[in-house]
Amino acid sequence: MRRWQDWYTTLLTIAVVLAVVGQPVASLLGDLAHQADPRRVGSGLALVAVAYAGYLALVRMAGPVVLGAADASWRLLSPLPRRTVLGRTARALLVVSVLGGLVLGVALVSVLGAPDLLPLRLTAALVVGLGAGLGGMALGVLGQALPTWDTRLQALIAVTLAAAVLLAVSGSGPGRTLTALPAGLTGALACCAAAVAAFLVRRAWTALDRVPARAILAASARSGRVAQATVTLDPGALTWAVEDNHWRGRALRSRRWPVSGAWTLAWQEARRITRRPVRLAVLAGATALPTLAVNAGLPQVAAALVIAGALIASVSVTSGARRDGDNPALLRMLAVGSRAALAVRALPPALLGACWLGAALWLSGAGAWWSLFGPACGPVLAVGALRMARRRPIDNSMPVIDTPGGAIPTGPLLWALTGVDLALLGCVPAFLALAVRPADPLPLLAAQMVTGLVLLGGYVMFSGRRPA
Amino acid sequence: MTVEPTIAAHDIQVDLGGQAVLREVDLTAAPGEIVAVIGENGAGKSTLLRCLAGLETPATGRILVLGDPPTDTATFWREVALTGDEPAWYPGLSVQEHLELVTTTHRDGRMDVGAALAAFDLGGRADLHPLTLSTGQRQRVSLATALVRPSRLLLLDEPERGLDTAFRDRLADILREYAVRGGAVVMATHDLGLAEACGARLVRLEAVR
Repeated sequence: MRRWQDWYTTLLTIAVVLAVVGQPVASLLGDLAHQADPRRVGSGLALVAVAYAGYLALVRMAGPVVLGAADASWRLLSPLPRRTVLGRTARALLVVSVLGGLVLGVALVSVLGAPDLLPLRLTAALVVGLGAGLGGMALGVLGQALPTWDTRLQALIAVTLAAAVLLAVSGSGPGRTLTALPAGLTGALACCAAAVAAFLVRRAWTALDRVPARAILAASARSGRVAQATVTLDPGALTWAVEDNHWRGRALRSRRWPVSGAWTLAWQEARRITRRPVRLAVLAGATALPTLAVNAGLPQVAAALVIAGALIASVSVTSGARRDGDNPALLRMLAVGSRAALAVRALPPALLGACWLGAALWLSGAGAWWSLFGPACGPVLAVGALRMARRRPIDNSMPVIDTPGGAIPTGPLLWALTGVDLALLGCVPAFLALAVRPADPLPLLAAQMVTGLVLLGGYVMFSGRRPA
Repeated sequence: MTVEPTIAAHDIQVDLGGQAVLREVDLTAAPGEIVAVIGENGAGKSTLLRCLAGLETPATGRILVLGDPPTDTATFWREVALTGDEPAWYPGLSVQEHLELVTTTHRDGRMDVGAALAAFDLGGRADLHPLTLSTGQRQRVSLATALVRPSRLLLLDEPERGLDTAFRDRLADILREYAVRGGAVVMATHDLGLAEACGARLVRLEAVR
């Protein structure tokens, strides 16, 4: 039973939170009363759709019904009613989906604007957002209980992504229609979203009693690894768990190696990535995200997406370097020198990073010359990706620096910056070119090429000395 | 004419964390010879193998492998194959592709990959990722990677780990055949039956008290 001190603490926490976030939220909501630019609405909505598809994918990947290790071991397999055991999880899912839905609603009204009747349009957008958040989470729960609902959830993710593509390519057409929606229709849409969400939540609540224990145990094991990786601050362990889970139990079609010698190590990455076509398709689709951000009037977000996307593309083909960094037993068996292995293993991240960056720049309408900065940055991206792949685990014994803004643990900070540091430094000529936009980008393009090759050569020469 | 020993180790002493692990250990292995290093847990068998592989530097003593001190370099590993704890398998590659990766990077193989799969009873598992296999099957893949490639010295740390009795007999045949072709084998083992079936010379290590 709650004591008065608990109530006091809860109410005081709510009061403090309201006092802290009240003003910024009021200011943010006030800013929403604007006329949206129809040319930017399509791209903005496409970004919101991509974010929603990401939310649904995360819900599906997480479970979403999971339990702590003790509950999964003891209470789940007991005769207790399943809904009682999962009560706390259900409340947590409710909070997450409400928060996600609110963010989605604010994003919607921010993109569509509210030239008149701000309270009505804001309420309608928040109801639609909440409906999407709660409905998506309910679909996730249903999907965990029944395969047919899981298929529907996958279809919804695909449809959302397809809608994002359509919105992105349809220019200002949808913008003109959607910004001028009558208030009555907006209200009706909100009512529909609320009704569908209520139906799905009710079905999910009923299905909670029938979620198979094996599905909850599998999801709990996954989330347990996430928690462990978070507590021990070792994200590398988590990515290996995900990678190994993917291949465990999978039958592959063995094929001969078309190259010989150390070159096989580069081909190995190509073979692995082509065996994950969905990941490759997501990477290819992500090249359009910076363009969407530019069209939505968010140039800073676009710049961040370009840098992050190119680096992620490069990192996605460095599994061999990471494996050998963690455990060099196979590299010793292959008897390939560490410098030769590193040089060959720089090829896949350089090529994929270059292609991704080139495509992203080309799609953003920067022009052919500017797209050449993609291939020019390839070697630098490879250095950053290999440095990330070969970094040591986080050194938690490193000092914590106290700053006015709070304590900064240097171990995780240095770990996070390893790889990103050289990638950013090495791409300075490209950043300069894209920021200044000189009439003749050729000198900076040449500077980028030379910087990349020198950096890659130096990295292979010096880092490759580390024994296998 | 005297044959140069594949391994000549004299007066090896290793201290780990201030504790003596090996004291005055001598070991030699000639081409075509199988040596089984036996001893209780903590006697230093794995440490000795690591010294022979150049992964541990002894405090005193002298080790020559194929005429030179062992070093953790590609040149050394082209002649020497080491199996110990399970290696980290590459993601996205099947058992067969792992074996072919080994023969392709060496540009040659001691045996055909198909023959190796059959010899190690992995024919029905060729298209699976190693992580799909049982512990014993993964140990067979691990041993197959060492035996499918060319080498002059095999260093095996507890090769019997996870293997069933029937396959241990087959492994003894495979190792004997390797030695007949001129290769030297040094294995740390607790399985005296395997050592005997290989016709191995026993070297007993006593734990340093």
